[in-house]
Amino acid sequence: MPEDTTELRERLSIIESMIAEGRRSTESWGSTFVLWGVAYYVAMAWSGWGHTAWAWPLTISIAVVLTIVLAFSKTRSHARTTLGRAIGSIWIALGISMFLLFFALGLTGRLTDRHLFVAVISAILGMANGASALILRWKVQLGCAVVWWAAAVATCFGSDTQSVIIFLVAIFLCQIVFGIYGMIANTQGRARQAPLHA
Amino acid sequence: MPDLPELDPVVHGRLRLALLSLLSCVEEAEFTWLRAKTKATDGNLGAQLLKLEQAGYVAVEKKFVRRKPQTLYRITESGRQALAHYVQALRRLLGPAVDK
Repeated sequence: MPEDTTELRERLSIIESMIAEGRRSTESWGSTFVLWGVAYYVAMAWSGWGHTAWAWPLTISIAVVLTIVLAFSKTRSHARTTLGRAIGSIWIALGISMFLLFFALGLTGRLTDRHLFVAVISAILGMANGASALILRWKVQLGCAVVWWAAAVATCFGSDTQSVIIFLVAIFLCQIVFGIYGMIANTQGRARQAPLHA
Repeated sequence: MPDLPELDPVVHGRLRLALLSLLSCVEEAEFTWLRAKTKATDGNLGAQLLKLEQAGYVAVEKKFVRRKPQTLYRITESGRQALAHYVQALRRLLGPAVDK
């Protein structure tokens, strides 16, 4: 009964593919990574050339608002998972920490030590990426965490210019490139799906 | 299907099997999410979900979020057991061929 075996195998493959599909993150998070990468670039350029204490607090505030708008626009179709809530909690906590820290530091004009600033922001981002990568067992994101941790250490030993370059490179790799990779992976995942009939 | 006496006919349908598999790994899912994952039509999806609901394998919750209707589905304990039994029966029927 080869037809029966083929049909039964097909049923098993449906179960496996649907479970894998259900576990896949439903959010297209890639755009959020790119958004924050661009926000860091804007804040750095603005604070560097504009010499204003408002550059970081304002840019971070705008990025937070845009992130919330993006999140709400994607909640029309969703599934709730424990894994999703765990990952989401990490990034929400990171967002609150960064917002409070940089808002306060920016307003009080204490964002003067560039080395310390890059080290702190890199370590926080390394922690969030590392935790997320370990939960998801995702090597690509673990690579991003390693880049952030390396940036946090390297900035302590380099000059002012080197510190800025390290930060720019880390943002490019871990926010822009990783975000675009996420967007492409998400699109490819959707395209691979075939319609199912009763 | 005389060769497959142990397989639960409610679970055996392709789309119903896909829906139970999807719901088995999430806490709850919206109708639109299930439609996106299975790429089924609204009518077909609704009919198959109704069969699963009537069999007691899924539970439905309808509510309004920001004035928009939202239908949430979650797998029940008997649905989870039915899927587990189905997988066991499938593996028994396939025998050694399952790992090929």
